Amino acid sequence: MIHLKQLSTQQLTCLVILTQVGVHVLSIPFNESRHSGHDAWMSILFGGVVAQAVIVIIYWLGKRHPNQSLPQYMGVVVGKPIGVLVNLLFAAYCAESCLLVTVSYTDVIERWLLVTTPWYVILGLSIAIAAYIASSPLRSIAVVTQSIMFMFLVCVVIVLTSGTGQGDYRHLLPIGTHGIGAIIRDSIPALWLYAGYELLLYVFPFVKSHRHKDIVIAMTIANGVTTLFYVVLSMLVTYKFSESQINTIAEPLVFILRQFNWPVVQSLDILFITIWLAVVAVTAYMYLFLSARYLAHIFRNEIRKHTMLVWLLGGICFIVGLWGEDREKVIRFTVYHNYATGIMVIIMPTLLLLISLMRGRGSVVR
Amino acid sequence: MKSDRTVANNTLSFQKLLSNSSDFQTSDLTAGERQYRLYYLDTMIEFAIVRDHIIQPLLVHKDVSVRQAVPILHVIETELLAEATMALMEGKTIVQVEGEATLYLFGTAMNKERSINIPVNERVLRGSNEALIENLDTNLNLMRKLIATPDLVVRYYRIGRRSNTKIAILYLKSIVNEDIVKELDRRLVSIDIDYIEAPGFIQELMDEKSFSLFPQMLVTERPDRVRSYLMDGKVAILTNGSPDGLILPVSFWAFFQSPDDYQINWLLGSTFRILRIFCFIIAISLPGAYVAMVTFDPRILPFEIALTLQSSMQFIAMPAVLEAVSMLLILEILREATIRLPSPIGQTIGVVGGIVIGTVVVQSNLVSNTMVVVVAFTGIASFIIPSYEMSSAARLLPYPFIFMSAILGLIGLELAYLFVLAHLSRLHMMGVPYFYTGLNGGSMRDTLIRAPIWRLRTRAKESLTNNKVRIRNPRGWEK
Repeated sequence: MIHLKQLSTQQLTCLVILTQVGVHVLSIPFNESRHSGHDAWMSILFGGVVAQAVIVIIYWLGKRHPNQSLPQYMGVVVGKPIGVLVNLLFAAYCAESCLLVTVSYTDVIERWLLVTTPWYVILGLSIAIAAYIASSPLRSIAVVTQSIMFMFLVCVVIVLTSGTGQGDYRHLLPIGTHGIGAIIRDSIPALWLYAGYELLLYVFPFVKSHRHKDIVIAMTIANGVTTLFYVVLSMLVTYKFSESQINTIAEPLVFILRQFNWPVVQSLDILFITIWLAVVAVTAYMYLFLSARYLAHIFRNEIRKHTMLVWLLGGICFIVGLWGEDREKVIRFTVYHNYATGIMVIIMPTLLLLISLMRGRGSVVR
Repeated sequence: MKSDRTVANNTLSFQKLLSNSSDFQTSDLTAGERQYRLYYLDTMIEFAIVRDHIIQPLLVHKDVSVRQAVPILHVIETELLAEATMALMEGKTIVQVEGEATLYLFGTAMNKERSINIPVNERVLRGSNEALIENLDTNLNLMRKLIATPDLVVRYYRIGRRSNTKIAILYLKSIVNEDIVKELDRRLVSIDIDYIEAPGFIQELMDEKSFSLFPQMLVTERPDRVRSYLMDGKVAILTNGSPDGLILPVSFWAFFQSPDDYQINWLLGSTFRILRIFCFIIAISLPGAYVAMVTFDPRILPFEIALTLQSSMQFIAMPAVLEAVSMLLILEILREATIRLPSPIGQTIGVVGGIVIGTVVVQSNLVSNTMVVVVAFTGIASFIIPSYEMSSAARLLPYPFIFMSAILGLIGLELAYLFVLAHLSRLHMMGVPYFYTGLNGGSMRDTLIRAPIWRLRTRAKESLTNNKVRIRNPRGWEK
């Protein structure tokens, strides 16, 4: 039969961009401007640079085991029992990311669009769609993601057209007054924005490329696009709102969209939040997929029932997500999840690489 | 069972094998000292051929063998009664010499077929006006005339335990992906069924996902269209008794192509192609979008438009969802009635549908004006899709979209889109993906748009051919 498991580098780029961007877009640069104020865009830029460094680490790790994905060679790197534990941790982290993303966006929808619709209806349908997509093979997921890329571009156009307009560029000035320390301190929350590139840990062997270098180029393009998008977005927000305004507005993008006057569509924010759902869905289904894949490898033999695993995890996410209606809980959970992201996405690959390097050769290149 | 030396015994055996069927006939002739007996089904043979090319030569050439005497190209010698009986079914005449066991099977079939007509379901403005007909041999003749290369392979199959329907698959050997042919062969051979009705039976017996609304094979009645897909490295299935050819593996985009696209300026062709895809989206989602906007998010509409909508909906008691569903149902009923109604009374539909339903429903405040506009637009948009199968899929899809929009507004619409997208990208045919985004690399050139002929240098992506390059530079001259 015809082999269809592979991804093109272009599909990889789409997957990474759309997994990286998610719910956060609405709140940029609220969390990133707590110390750095109107210099938040520099914190975000710095966050992108750190993400790039981690991408190189992950790529390095992947290159040492070019024919296997992380859950498969985990045992080789850290040994069997710890390997199972780490795989389980990754599975839990991915499921948690999926949960957080769906819950946060359900919250957004609940607050801005469907105020009276029951929480479980929106959450349930979103998770059902995410699980349906996540239960497909990787190629199908990549094709869906490529199509959603088009919606992402529509969103970018909406943001750019509504963001430029009346505002004051002097809000951005003077550059760098908050000091290097504040900027670096605020780049820590910025790091969470970029999570998503760690999917390379799993997909590395499935990417079809002439040289391994093409993979890192595709990843860099993806991360570059995301960084550019975030930086432009934070600059647009700073252009529109002064520092004291930013301090009180948690979701500035919605207000920017809402005040834009276009004769065809009255309130762009509704349109944007609707279309953006697709972009958020990519993050949700990609993490659900990854979670199922990591979970499949916790036993000695790979669990072959991918569909069942995905729906199982989706069901768990739904049940846990029912508690997400209480916003306070979500906010507390987010704080915890940010630490988890730091550990799983940044520290863990670095550790794995170090161990792998210390233990000498990687897998034999066939 | 072996044939007997005496004709009388053989006649009895044939009659037994054919269950004393009334149209089984024999006739005897004597030439010199030899006696011949002819066996045939009198409903299946051409009498003139038997008279001029079998009986007469046998009477004239008295002392040569049957084989030498009869000037018919198609002849088989056998001693097996089973084979001979099958030959009778095909309209052959069997000749036996008294005292010899050998049976001579001569091709004398009567061909009653309609002449080659113009295509009815796939009309084009420019280009060939030939359509396939029910006779497989004629269809193959048409195809061979269009593709005069030894590269064109025709393979016969017999499917149907009782009907023994002849099926042919066609492909171009140097272009096609061998894996697809092998897989197709495996599936065709393993079909075990009483009789086969093409193209519906074959489609359903070969589809991998049977719970999909989307057609996974392209049905066409145009030989030129079959040719263009064969040239892309696909396989065509022709069936005796059906004027439709099946083409596989096809992608989603093939259903929006029309031969007309290639006959006119490529800019126009591309525009029409995009228009068709856009209309597909309209056809599946416009009623849903309308319901979502009216019931959930009227804020999205500019104030003036919202006022217009409001004025048309002022006196309507039904919720928008019910309005949409009932109007769509009426449209479906009208559409089905138009197909089934005998043409002399077809006019009635126009009156009943157009005047009574269109006008009176609005005047009596049952359905709003705008809803009638939306539904009419949806209907017309679904007519624009060139493939009947795809257009039928587009008729059924609005209902889930309306349902989702009725629950979650625009969010529901978006979720429905995602679902359809995911479903499309999960479909496979013979291991070949059905859907891919027409945006990357060169794959846009014959999917979303129709690029100029000299740019169509590679074959369609989904046929996964080994021979990807169509031709290096079709326009040999340099500008």
